[in-house]
Amino acid sequence: MNIGSSLVDRVAIVTGAGQGVGEGIARRLAEEGARVVVAARRAETGEPVAASIRDEGGDALCIETDVSASESVRRCVEETVGRLGRLDIVVHNAFTGGIPHRLEQARIDKHWTAMSRTSVWASLFCARESYRHLVESSRRPAGEGGGRLILITSPSGVEGSANIPLYSPAKAGQRAIAKSLAREWGPDGITVNCIAPVAASPSLLTAFERNPALQQALEARTPLGRVGDITRDIGSVALFLAGDDSSYVTGQTIVCDGGSFLGL
Amino acid sequence: MTVEVLGRGELADSLRRDVASDIDATVIVVGGRPDPIVTCELSDAQIDELWERPMQEVIVGLQGAHARGAKRIVVVVPTTGMSGGSHYAATAALAEAARVLVKSAARQWGADGITVNAVAVDPNAFGLDSKVSGPVSIAPRALEGSADPTAAVQWLCSSASAQVTGQTIVCDGGLWM
Repeated sequence: MNIGSSLVDRVAIVTGAGQGVGEGIARRLAEEGARVVVAARRAETGEPVAASIRDEGGDALCIETDVSASESVRRCVEETVGRLGRLDIVVHNAFTGGIPHRLEQARIDKHWTAMSRTSVWASLFCARESYRHLVESSRRPAGEGGGRLILITSPSGVEGSANIPLYSPAKAGQRAIAKSLAREWGPDGITVNCIAPVAASPSLLTAFERNPALQQALEARTPLGRVGDITRDIGSVALFLAGDDSSYVTGQTIVCDGGSFLGL
Repeated sequence: MTVEVLGRGELADSLRRDVASDIDATVIVVGGRPDPIVTCELSDAQIDELWERPMQEVIVGLQGAHARGAKRIVVVVPTTGMSGGSHYAATAALAEAARVLVKSAARQWGADGITVNAVAVDPNAFGLDSKVSGPVSIAPRALEGSADPTAAVQWLCSSASAQVTGQTIVCDGGLWM
């Protein structure tokens, strides 16, 4: 890859970066010079992504992280700062769950807990553990830092979901956290935003293989006529929110879905 | 016909006393009267208290309403979920999650003739301190006087609102727009 310079020296943690949207974001940030921590639940998925980024000239390492456990998030942040010296950008993307269900039959343990833990709980864990480092980043001279927290939500967090009803509140809660932290952390110069992507993640591609009509239907309702690429489409939005060009943007959700959802 | 009101506090008590309907309805008043907390000082126990347990109550409350055959379901939240609130991150998450779950429920249960809507009210009704949370809007309230949500809740609980579902009526005197 050709390494750019807009994020040179910045350190970013990307959770759930062992595949899919997180991987795309990690790769895009690394392309612009960020030193990226691929925070993955299993090193078997995270380490190959980190190695691939390094092979292409980027700077990345993998730290095994279970975002649903506060102690694991704390260790990830501490290890990141210990090994790389600073932390400027946190992208919380990891998510577990999403089993289709009927709301009236949903069970808390089967259909809710994992989504709640990896969305709202994990967003608050990431915020809590990274705050002081993001403050330090924002105190650096202009162009040399700027604390950023980016939460990956979903269009379903705005418009609800007919197939996975409990997915939508898990994602909506993250949007409210971003707005709240934008207010709370604005005086520190930290920005907090969300991305609501629709992208060709492994899970979506698997769903397409099982049901080709789903892909046709999704593309047909999307003005741009295709599903987003995890690196070029979604990663580039994350790059904007992570860098200096977005320094006056906070509390917002960028829906990155080819124009499928136009309700904001 | 009965109107069941779930939830605690003055607002829930007021709605329990004043809302009637010509059709079976359930009203869920979400959350309590939380204290402001610096987000990076939130303990796991506080996240559980402010987010997890009340959110599970909302889910169970919706399921209970469906099970008892309610044809109108109304979820009452503070506008804090839409506006965000400094020092109220978990509370805002709860409010917005409940408000958007309304849309999912509306999508699934519409075929059964069940409407599910939200009423968003002034955060003061939930005891949220606007001096701490930050201004809800860029402008003052458009209307003077009290912003009592009872009439809006009652209408959404009635047969007259049969074609309205998945919506949020903001009943705060024109503060959040």
